[in-house]
Amino acid sequence: MKNTFTQSMAWLHTWAGLIFGWLLFAIFVTGTLAVFDKELNHWMQPEIPATEVSQADAATRAIAYLQTHEPNAGNWGISLPTERAPGLRVSTGDRRHGVGVQLDPQTGEPIAVRDSVGGNFFFRFHFTLDLPRNWGIFVVGALALVMLAGLITGIVIHKKIFKEFFTFRPDKGQRSWLDFHNASAVLLLPFHLMITYTGLVIFMLIYIPAGVDALFEGDTRAYFQAQGNARMEQPRRLAKQPGELVDVAPLLAQAQARLGPIGGLNIRNPNTAGARIEIRPVLGNRIALTKGNAMVFDGVSGKLLSDVPELRPAPLTQRVMAGLHFAQFGGYPMRWLYFICGLVSCAMIASGLVLFCVKRGRKYANANADASARRWYRVAEVCNVGFIAGLLLACVGLLWASRLLPAELAHREAWEVRSFFGLWLLALLHAGVRPAKRAWIEQLALSALLCAGLGVLGMLAGAADSLRIGVEVTGLVLGLGLALAAWRVAHPKPAPVRARRQVEAQA
Amino acid sequence: MSESPAWLRILSRSAAALLGGYAFSYAATACLARILPLSPADAVLVATLPAFICYTLAILWAFASRDALRAWVPLALAAPLMLIGFWPQALGWLA
Repeated sequence: MKNTFTQSMAWLHTWAGLIFGWLLFAIFVTGTLAVFDKELNHWMQPEIPATEVSQADAATRAIAYLQTHEPNAGNWGISLPTERAPGLRVSTGDRRHGVGVQLDPQTGEPIAVRDSVGGNFFFRFHFTLDLPRNWGIFVVGALALVMLAGLITGIVIHKKIFKEFFTFRPDKGQRSWLDFHNASAVLLLPFHLMITYTGLVIFMLIYIPAGVDALFEGDTRAYFQAQGNARMEQPRRLAKQPGELVDVAPLLAQAQARLGPIGGLNIRNPNTAGARIEIRPVLGNRIALTKGNAMVFDGVSGKLLSDVPELRPAPLTQRVMAGLHFAQFGGYPMRWLYFICGLVSCAMIASGLVLFCVKRGRKYANANADASARRWYRVAEVCNVGFIAGLLLACVGLLWASRLLPAELAHREAWEVRSFFGLWLLALLHAGVRPAKRAWIEQLALSALLCAGLGVLGMLAGAADSLRIGVEVTGLVLGLGLALAAWRVAHPKPAPVRARRQVEAQA
Repeated sequence: MSESPAWLRILSRSAAALLGGYAFSYAATACLARILPLSPADAVLVATLPAFICYTLAILWAFASRDALRAWVPLALAAPLMLIGFWPQALGWLA
């Protein structure tokens, strides 16, 4: 594109970064929030009690409830209370389209819980942008590829990488933004590269099915069979004869001894001679992503029918890479590490976007500049406010909507999503009608207020437990950070260029 | 190419990056899966894991190359790689 390699790469970094940076920021923010998706789920449904009940007791109560209300269902799903998700949920039907009921783990009675998209919304938005699933996966994959190209071009154009490793010149306007962008990118470069690449690896066979096309003639089922992931044959004949369900408590203990903490179980063809009990671990008992793994027991005799598979090196590599992205292993210390690294990634992207405008501000924002250039500069400015501050506002707004929308509202989840996108749109419009600096201050201040105020909502609902208080305290800290950002925009230190000129004028 | 408007040059390079890059990484993956001395199931995974490195390199190439025609080199490279990756199918079509 340009004369030298470095110039071409700088051009690509600048323009791809600007155009795709807005959506990448949204993906990174929601991904960072999704690290605590279960905690946010719990916070957004304050009716769910946090009680200390053993999983065996909870499972017994869940099965008793299902025996009374759904004795003839083809499949029972039970999500057991865990460290991160204290609720007990039962469902019938298959996993994606099943109908579920929330039970009180202590009594086994159903409790009325508001419908809420929960923290799952951030998780889903992170990899689909709330588009139809398959479209979203491809759009996010393309954006991840741009991110990867942005990281590599960033390394190429960053000549003095080791010297500037330790450089930060605060309060120097454009120089400080560049230093911050460089420092946040370089210090966590391994994290940025890892999280972007492993994100692509999760859906790699959807993006590039070349191997399956070449070696399996595009037959995905044949490929999965070769992987040894064939689904177990369901005993159709036995499933028609009645049978008595075995006690699950010893099976849970056996599975826990083998797999670690248990997430839940499925009982296929309950109350028949062909009953099968599938017990699955929580994600994160090991680094490799264990989604879909389960120990299968005979539902009548309690005999172990199939154990979790040992992974060969190649699938294990892919699972470990996917697991590194899902960040389910290592408990809360690892979760916080991912959260903080994610925040730095977000700040890195945001500072790059801001830098684009700061760099060109003096040239285009004054009246002498070409009218069309000024108009495009204004578009970039408005999008920066609306996609950075506006998105933060929409995210925290979703948490407020989950608590403030009436619990009996029909299609409540859809209204929560609408309030997320509505707030985002309003923020973009607001940025369009206000001067850029005012728009930054107002949106950052409002997000700060809403973040810090999560605790007030918590007190009003009175459903405090350690998980929910954790969410509220984190909100308070993030709110203080946003308030600080708003204050810094409102009270900038005098720009160094002007200061120097004044000194020269005086001399 | 220097007379063509800027937006057209950018569009051509972007298309080379996106489409040429995809063709190149698809073909490289197919080729690698074919020649790796592993069981087919493993070869698919091992060949696909580095695919996005190929794609990224092709994107950089599309914007770094000196003239607009050379930006499409990855697409040209894709053809022989495809032939290796899909040679049994190719023989089938010829027969």
